[in-house]
Amino acid sequence: MSQGALLEVRGLSKQFGGLSAVEDLHLKVAEGRLAGLIGPNGAGKTTVFNMLSGSLRPSSGSVLWRGRQVAGFKASRINRLGIARTFQNIRLFGELSVLENVLVGFHGRLRANFLSAILRLPGYVAEERGMQRRAAELLELVGLSGLAAETAGNMAYGQQRLLEIARALATAPDLLLLDEPAAGMNPQETAALADLVRRLRDELGLTVLLIEHDMQFVMNLCEDLTVLDHGRVIARGDPQSVQHDPAVMEAYLGTGLESLEGEGGHA
Amino acid sequence: MSWLSDLLDPGSLPARSLTRRRDTRLTLLAAAGFAGLLWLLEGWAGGYVVHMTTLAGLFVVLAVSYNLINGVTGQFSLEPNAFVACGAYVTALLTLSPAEKAASFILEPLVWPLSVICLPLPVALLIAGLLTALMAFLMGFPVFRVRGDYLAIVTLGFGEVIRVVANNAQSVTNGPLGLKGITHLTNVWWAWGLCAFTLFVVMRLVNSSYGRALKAVREDEAAAEAMGINAFWHKMLAFTISAFFEGMAGGLLAHLITTISPSLFTFFLTFNLLIIIVVGGLGSTTGAVLAAVLFTFGGEWLRVVEEPLNILGLHIPGIPGMRMVIFSLILVAFMIFARQGLMGRAEFSWRWILASRRGRRGTP
Repeated sequence: MSQGALLEVRGLSKQFGGLSAVEDLHLKVAEGRLAGLIGPNGAGKTTVFNMLSGSLRPSSGSVLWRGRQVAGFKASRINRLGIARTFQNIRLFGELSVLENVLVGFHGRLRANFLSAILRLPGYVAEERGMQRRAAELLELVGLSGLAAETAGNMAYGQQRLLEIARALATAPDLLLLDEPAAGMNPQETAALADLVRRLRDELGLTVLLIEHDMQFVMNLCEDLTVLDHGRVIARGDPQSVQHDPAVMEAYLGTGLESLEGEGGHA
Repeated sequence: MSWLSDLLDPGSLPARSLTRRRDTRLTLLAAAGFAGLLWLLEGWAGGYVVHMTTLAGLFVVLAVSYNLINGVTGQFSLEPNAFVACGAYVTALLTLSPAEKAASFILEPLVWPLSVICLPLPVALLIAGLLTALMAFLMGFPVFRVRGDYLAIVTLGFGEVIRVVANNAQSVTNGPLGLKGITHLTNVWWAWGLCAFTLFVVMRLVNSSYGRALKAVREDEAAAEAMGINAFWHKMLAFTISAFFEGMAGGLLAHLITTISPSLFTFFLTFNLLIIIVVGGLGSTTGAVLAAVLFTFGGEWLRVVEEPLNILGLHIPGIPGMRMVIFSLILVAFMIFARQGLMGRAEFSWRWILASRRGRRGTP
């Protein structure tokens, strides 16, 4: 195993019936890096995230987390091992308050059992106090302190994205998977988000792998990029080299007649 | 009476625990007041009112525990009749005296250990609760492999299975003849005592980290899983606790109506409980309490419409079954105008009451 690879993906594939969503994906995320996964719509990026986080079982291939095989584990187990995610189509607990959403994130690591919780034994009460305190800190970190009592579903779109990050952070991850965190944000919010993600790495020591369509955001923030198209890796490297890669340009812009013919052939 | 003086002059505590203390005290005061009311009722009201009050207490227990799995955890299941039946049969079989059992089981004698056992009610109730919880636990493994409509159908099936078993396991349940001569031991104190216990446990659970996890499973199961919550075990927790209380309520029900048979535990019972928790507001524990009381007494008050009436000189002969028609109309109105139920997902809190009182005092 190569040095410092927190997450290593080997030959990961996913077929939906006859459709191959991800094919033979190899990926390494080194500890403490800000990595990005980009590609045109339908390239299979979210499918990769779903497999890494355990929501989807891979058809084949392996996912090594700190050198240990975790492909096919239940999502809750993968989360407790230290991989947390956010969702492209925001999936907050809409009827719970902002604070409760974050508190739910801590529950997976709660040690007190349900009897202790019902009887409010000292062990549980101490843990609950700790969770409340840390939840307030996380809301402070993402800038939602003032909204703790608000119903999560009633918040603005950008705020919901930030709450998803706070909730994911509550599960105490080592690797954070962000699925289009800047989608629906205005330029100011996007800039603030980039600062936040950098702080997560610099101050909390998190490793981040993110999917994003906002190229300016990706190019400014990410250190390693992997480009997917039609389920395959077409380029990888630092933002500079990826940006000028002819295969990437073709995937994003097409090359005139050839691409039209290609689509015609598929239909 | 130190707690009373504390209530009047709470001293210097952080604001938050101060409110919590005040709420606890108000709740205890209210409970004491209610207990006083029950005492007066038991002494002065007629037997019929006392019977209905006892029944209301049991329905509150059933509604609150059913709401835990259906409303709080959001798992639409239809089996409480099975749990109530299990609790009722187990308790009755444990408390009936060997002589009574021998007299009842005419067609086939009762199987051995049960035929000689005779336990006091509290012990029998606890055993019934635990056995029902065990049944729910075992049932949970196949049942929670499915979700949504499928879960409803599978649990409905289990409810029927239990009834059929009760009908056919002659040597344990006495088949369709049922069990007769169960001592009338359930009074208002048993029913409302169990009610207090249930409310204590369920409210504490719902207002804990576990309660938040249950609600997270209701809101978005996949997201809850992604946040490290094992949805399966949390559903099992809610289901098992709910069955524990439903089983005990079933035991008390048997000792209130003194005769049980399989026909008592049909889907109709589940259906009534479902109406209660939907009218109360799915997910609201206090809503379930309110609706259970209204439902039990409402059904009785509506009997008026089945008697011959004279309205403005118009004579209406009594129509049997009329109250069910009116009951249904009320339900339809609920579904059209107040789909969220009486309470929605909100809970009763002392802050509401105090705030509204203060608000009224503030206005000129």
